[in-house]
Amino acid sequence: MNAVPPSALVLDGLVVGAMLFALGLVGILARRNMIVMFLCAELMLQGISVTLVSWSRHHGDWGGHVLVILVLTVAACEAAVALVFVLQAFARTGRLDAAAWQSLREANLPRTVDRELPAIDTVPPRFPKLTPAGVEPAADEDALLEREQV
Amino acid sequence: MNELTPQTLLVLVPLLPLVGAVLTVALGRLLGRHAHLPAMAAIAAAFVVAGMLLAGVVKEVGDHAGHGAPAHAVEMTTTLWQWAGVPDAAAAGEADPAARSFSVPITLRLDPLTACLLVIITGVGLLVAVYSIGYMHGDPGYPRFFALVSAFVFSMSMLVAASNFLLVYVFWEAVGACSYLLIGFWFAKPEAAQAAKKAFLVNRVGDFGLAVATFLIWMTYGTLDFDRVFAATPAAGLVPTAICLLLLLAACGKSAQLPLHVWLPDAMEGPTPASSLIHAATMVTAGVYLVARSAPMFVACPGALTLVSIVGATTALVAALIGTVQNDLKRVLAYSTISQLGYMFASLGTGTLLGFTAAIFHLVTHAFFKALLFMGAGSVMHSMGGVIDMRRFGGLRRVMPITAATFLVGALALAGVAPFAGFFSKDEILAALHSRGWPDAHGEHHDAVPEGGHAAAANPFILASVTPDAAQLAGGSRGSALDGLDRPATWRLLYWMSLATAALTAFYTFRAVFMTFTGPTRVPEEAGHHAHESPPSMTIPLAILAVLSAVSGWWLFKDHVLASFLAATPSFTVPAVAATATAPAFHWDIAVQGTLAALAGIVVAALGHLGRRSDGPQMERFLGPLETLFANRFFIDQIYSAAIVRPLELLAGLAAAIDRYVVDGLVDAVARLPLGIGAVVRHLQSGLVQRYALAGVIGVLLIVLALVARAMG
Amino acid sequence: MIAAILPTISPGTLLATGVAASAASLFLLLPRGRTGTAERASRWIGGLVGMAALAAFMALGHRLGSPGEDAVFLTVALVAVVSGAATVVSRSPVYAAIWFAMSLAGVSGVLLVLGGQFLGVATIVVYAGAILVMFLFVLMLAQPAGLAPYDRVSSEPLLAAVAGAVLLGILSLSIGRLTTEPPACCLTPATKATLLANSAADAAATDPGRVDLLAENHVARLGGELFGRHLLAVEVAGVLLLVALVGSIAIVARGGADDESADARRAIP
Repeated sequence: MNAVPPSALVLDGLVVGAMLFALGLVGILARRNMIVMFLCAELMLQGISVTLVSWSRHHGDWGGHVLVILVLTVAACEAAVALVFVLQAFARTGRLDAAAWQSLREANLPRTVDRELPAIDTVPPRFPKLTPAGVEPAADEDALLEREQV
Repeated sequence: MNELTPQTLLVLVPLLPLVGAVLTVALGRLLGRHAHLPAMAAIAAAFVVAGMLLAGVVKEVGDHAGHGAPAHAVEMTTTLWQWAGVPDAAAAGEADPAARSFSVPITLRLDPLTACLLVIITGVGLLVAVYSIGYMHGDPGYPRFFALVSAFVFSMSMLVAASNFLLVYVFWEAVGACSYLLIGFWFAKPEAAQAAKKAFLVNRVGDFGLAVATFLIWMTYGTLDFDRVFAATPAAGLVPTAICLLLLLAACGKSAQLPLHVWLPDAMEGPTPASSLIHAATMVTAGVYLVARSAPMFVACPGALTLVSIVGATTALVAALIGTVQNDLKRVLAYSTISQLGYMFASLGTGTLLGFTAAIFHLVTHAFFKALLFMGAGSVMHSMGGVIDMRRFGGLRRVMPITAATFLVGALALAGVAPFAGFFSKDEILAALHSRGWPDAHGEHHDAVPEGGHAAAANPFILASVTPDAAQLAGGSRGSALDGLDRPATWRLLYWMSLATAALTAFYTFRAVFMTFTGPTRVPEEAGHHAHESPPSMTIPLAILAVLSAVSGWWLFKDHVLASFLAATPSFTVPAVAATATAPAFHWDIAVQGTLAALAGIVVAALGHLGRRSDGPQMERFLGPLETLFANRFFIDQIYSAAIVRPLELLAGLAAAIDRYVVDGLVDAVARLPLGIGAVVRHLQSGLVQRYALAGVIGVLLIVLALVARAMG
Repeated sequence: MIAAILPTISPGTLLATGVAASAASLFLLLPRGRTGTAERASRWIGGLVGMAALAAFMALGHRLGSPGEDAVFLTVALVAVVSGAATVVSRSPVYAAIWFAMSLAGVSGVLLVLGGQFLGVATIVVYAGAILVMFLFVLMLAQPAGLAPYDRVSSEPLLAAVAGAVLLGILSLSIGRLTTEPPACCLTPATKATLLANSAADAAATDPGRVDLLAENHVARLGGELFGRHLLAVEVAGVLLLVALVGSIAIVARGGADDESADARRAIP
């Protein structure tokens, strides 16, 4: 359509989009936590958005922008539905592990089970606490509200 | 709508039983214990039609017959449709048989021989069907039995009405199939299944002969039609002799002649009515019919003809010898059937018109009295609760008088006692053999010696000569070593063998009669308390057949009714056969010899068995080691087992081993390859979605890489 | 600057290096169930190698015309990419979510630089403001205390990292072939001057069919486009949202256990 080569900005934008997409792909393939997997899917969508806007810039056309808006919509829908699924899965298994679901495997094949992991010997991270304002809360309540780790 | 032309009637004869069979199959379950109705009605109608046809042919023959004039061929054919037609493959002409046009019309024929046999087939078939109503009553396979009988009558009618060798072959196989199914009717019984298999396999040998003979006929004569083949026959030589020998092989298989007779005694495992119809009266005579029909071909090959007689007479003697020591009533009759068929073959082999007509005459009378005897045996068996061993019962004349009386008539006919049927037909056969053994004594009976090589072929004066040039003249059958057999000494031996067979026949027949019906009355426990005369549906056919057995001989012999009627058959009007016609005569010397032989046999049997307990000491004890030989049927089954069955089984075992370990091994190896791959690859199917996604991504990457590589050049 | 340091390296070598370094870095950074020193060393080395990979890709990038423009773009792009990588490799899903928010900020910047003013803002609002918060809520509902075992391991980290890097390599290669302009590493002063001269023109404004997206009333014109030409798509998107809403509620309402869950629950250590 257009014989003019893309400008440097467009090219660099495309490379950034490709990087985000590849990173998201790696996350989808490698990470086991379903929520992280969805985060990575969103990352891939970000890569797509950047690419679309780059091409929109190159062609001087609104199509890319419009498409990105639609992508945002779909991402919102997907997130809603997917998170419900994740919650359902969690309700059934008590975990967010994608590998908990293996019923599709070949008959007679044993479940794939993770090796036993050594205990974490690192010091648990200390999270900053807000400085209490007003009356100092009771220590017990504080302990109740506070989570050790995330 | 056409009139009932002879053509229509001829088609109706086989068609009606076919319809009957189909109806029985279709409605059998519905009709239940009335399942015999369609088959019986169809066979009865076919019998009536066959009778009308016979009457028509008799009238036709009568119209043409002039006293002293050579018989005029009476024949009618009707072509239903063209079964197969291949036009000339090329304009190569007649030189190359493969290029000739090939056509197989479905043609039915009517001539005296066919008409005569059609009446026998449908008549005996009808009586057997009526008899079976009583005999097969209550059998779970009741409809099946009648469907098979009807199908058999159809096949047999087509066999004798077919007008070319290919059709004959088709229905030759069809009757074989019906026979197989009826022998194995009680297929749940291992012996019956075994016997059916044996009959089928032994018959294959004969069928092979017929198939090859058909091929050779096609290659030699370029046609399969009877009339055209027989018109072309005089070209004698090695191939026609081979055709004759192959036809003989076929006949031996179907008619249970040595060495292929082993299936018939075992075939008695079938229901007795089936044995009566198929293995006594009709199907086993198909071989006789085939040889008689092919008379012009056989007459051109005197060596083959002599062999027919030798086979027949030898079979007759051997079977009679075996029959003398059998204790199973049906087996006695089975060996008797083989023996009587041997008679017919011996008669056919003489190659004279007298011999051919005598064979058919004997076929007709034999059909009556052997069917009678079998049905009588069936009646005994029915009453004795399935027991057929003669040693286990005796004195049954008090229990079942009608059966005893009719059986006695049949036995007298079989033994050849005047004036019963067997006497006349057997006498004619002996006369035919005698005329070849002592040509001088019969010389005055011959017509003027006809001219021409073909007529000479059948002339005993020339055939008796052993000079090579005479043999050349006689049949032109170059290099046929068989022709050396054709000398008076052979025929004399055959005559004496037949006479001895007559004595033996009388002996074993009356041995059976005495063992079964005389002596103290004993019934086996299987019969229970209801050992009684059979129902009317069984005794009425017995009575009809008894009457026929008693009178048909004299009735058909008187004025040579049957002989002159049959002489109008096209196969017998060819010059070579017609020239051997003799003036009708009754040979007192031969009749006396035959009667004496029969009486001798009866007297010996009476000495040994009349009035004695049948389970007492038998006459066989005087035979010594011969008894072992006879009782074991000359060890023929054992020889076959050792010489043919065992090696074949070994071969089969070897083939099975090769199949199992080599062929199956290869197949298994091929099968193991995907199995092995699967064993490795199945671990990829882990059920982990992320691995699936990874596999998908890698696949996409490979495709994209390939595209990029291509785009880069 | 980079060109001066690495003047002799060809773009092909650079790309190969970048791909290999990204693969190695991602593999080292992904959780693999290690502990203690091995874990720390792995992270450090992975981080360094990742930097090398980023450097290689930066060298492969193009000059935008002015150093300021370069700096802005580089900053937002680095924020987007590095935060994205951190999202992927974070052990804790909460950290991952926060890193994702960071990455969104970078992406928003990139979009702004590329001329998507509305989209840059919308991304922040929709993603960081709505979707990410939803994620965090779910995490609060579902995440057990401490690091779950499945957060400490990855499924096939090596293959995944290599696949991602190869994909990146293929895409970069294809993007690189879109232009005849040499990459940043191979710029000569002469071409640099030419570029600087006509960079202001940006994409050839001579084409009459082109719209200048950066002209005035950007958002108004985007809205006009959206509710003009693409009205149907907008309506469809609205229906889609409704369906997703109803579907989510339906799924939550039904719930329940079945054989599948029994199988999965059996595997809980």
